[in-house]
Amino acid sequence: MIRIIHFREKCIGCNACVELAPGRWRMSKKDGKSVLLEGEDVNGIVTAIADDNEYKANLSASRTCPTNVIKVEKIVRKS
Amino acid sequence: MNPNVEEDSIRNNPKNTVAFWTKEKYDFRILEHMKPAIEIMSPAGSRESLSAALNAGADSVYFGVEQLNMRAKSSNNFTTDDLPAIAALCGRHNAKSYITLNTILYDHDLQLMRNIVDAAKENGITAVIASDHAVMMYARKRGMEIHISTQTNITNIETVEFFSAFADVMVLSRELSLSQVADIVSDIRRRNICGPSGRLVQVEVFAHGALCMAVSGKCYMSLHTHYSSANRGACIQNCRRDYIVTDKATGYELEIDNEYIMSAKDLCTIGFLDKIIGAGVSVLKIEGRGRSADYVHTTTTCYKEAVKAIHDGTYGPQKVEQWMQALSTVFNRGFWDGYYLGRTMGEWSESDESLATKRKVYLGKGVNYFSKQQIAHFLMESNQLQVGDEIVITGPTTGYVHAVVSELRVNGLPVSQAGKGDEVTIPLGTLIRPSDALYKLVDNTRRELVQAE
Repeated sequence: MIRIIHFREKCIGCNACVELAPGRWRMSKKDGKSVLLEGEDVNGIVTAIADDNEYKANLSASRTCPTNVIKVEKIVRKS
Repeated sequence: MNPNVEEDSIRNNPKNTVAFWTKEKYDFRILEHMKPAIEIMSPAGSRESLSAALNAGADSVYFGVEQLNMRAKSSNNFTTDDLPAIAALCGRHNAKSYITLNTILYDHDLQLMRNIVDAAKENGITAVIASDHAVMMYARKRGMEIHISTQTNITNIETVEFFSAFADVMVLSRELSLSQVADIVSDIRRRNICGPSGRLVQVEVFAHGALCMAVSGKCYMSLHTHYSSANRGACIQNCRRDYIVTDKATGYELEIDNEYIMSAKDLCTIGFLDKIIGAGVSVLKIEGRGRSADYVHTTTTCYKEAVKAIHDGTYGPQKVEQWMQALSTVFNRGFWDGYYLGRTMGEWSESDESLATKRKVYLGKGVNYFSKQQIAHFLMESNQLQVGDEIVITGPTTGYVHAVVSELRVNGLPVSQAGKGDEVTIPLGTLIRPSDALYKLVDNTRRELVQAE
């Protein structure tokens, strides 16, 4: 599993994440910023848990984001 | 009679408008009645810069709201909730206020764009600065005054005519020569091209600040290498770095060492401002929403003084030298006169850093101000302060204050030097606040000396 984190405040609405990981991101027509689908918003920081198969696309979204507001990390399970 | 109405009627009377101009000598005769109409427009990328601009006497300020402006990434942008306070502050200073809404727009931006225009209208902001037609169309519908952004790159009279259906003020492309600017201004008058207000279209030009390596607003470099679009306000200024050029045939690498091939020097027009005004320009714009309060204060003050000196007839080389000295103390990459005087090639900066002759060193923060005694109280958080040091105080309300330490006290006792942790009091004629930061100015060359040791 992976965790995707979006620090939404500094988003400038460039649409890059939507182009690279369309299954996980949409542009909001309300405020022009991107929305992390199925994310949970805690004080403006949005977090979503996703399958490993979404890692690659979201990693490129994270690397491409001009304001560096997307973080993607692998969740390591304690066994 | 309302002085503004009087000013407008003078400015817009075609009889008063022809600036005499010979291309060979750049000889402009400035007509008496044109002089008072010059507007200095200052950048306000933060609360500090906004206060600094207004305190320095800017006739108007421009700022971004939310993310749809050309400094979406670099400046500390305001939100629509800040608009009532900004409008009130500008009103108190009798200054006009402009919102920059000038990035390229996608479908998903349209609602936010409409919200910003609506909020601007409701809060009595003077105008929006637009480059996209969607903004112009909506702002026109809402009855909001529109100014055309440099992103639109107006370079000819018919484009001015086209946009006159929407806008009253247009900034001309930064790449035009002064004779081209003068021709456009005189054609506006000859053809009687009026904006929606019914008054002649006013021409604005950039007077000071950074220039782009590309034709302004048409650069793809930052997006190409870093997916950070300049045209969405996220330019990472990679033209200002140094590069290695490889000969593909032989593989030889050439380092473009310290002589950057693309980073343009900063525009400075103070040495020929009389000619710019003589060309019939009404608004002088200072670039720099990414710059600090001291830059905004110094540039605004110098250009205000220069316009006044041109008005008084005291403008001359001696004063220009003083202003150049003052301007070089704040952020710059070296100066040149842009394209106005007909230079065909750009002049390039040898440094990606600022060439400012002075730099600020952080000392501490404001604590209190004793109005009766005119004493400012600061808490020192780093570095040292001595009697005789030049200090700068910046803050959201204070803007920019510059002073020399005439006397220094710690715990009420006079000292010659104070350091970290000391609570110092300094005689100061201007009110300061706990939200203010205290800096001292040091020569910028000193840093190099330290590195060399």
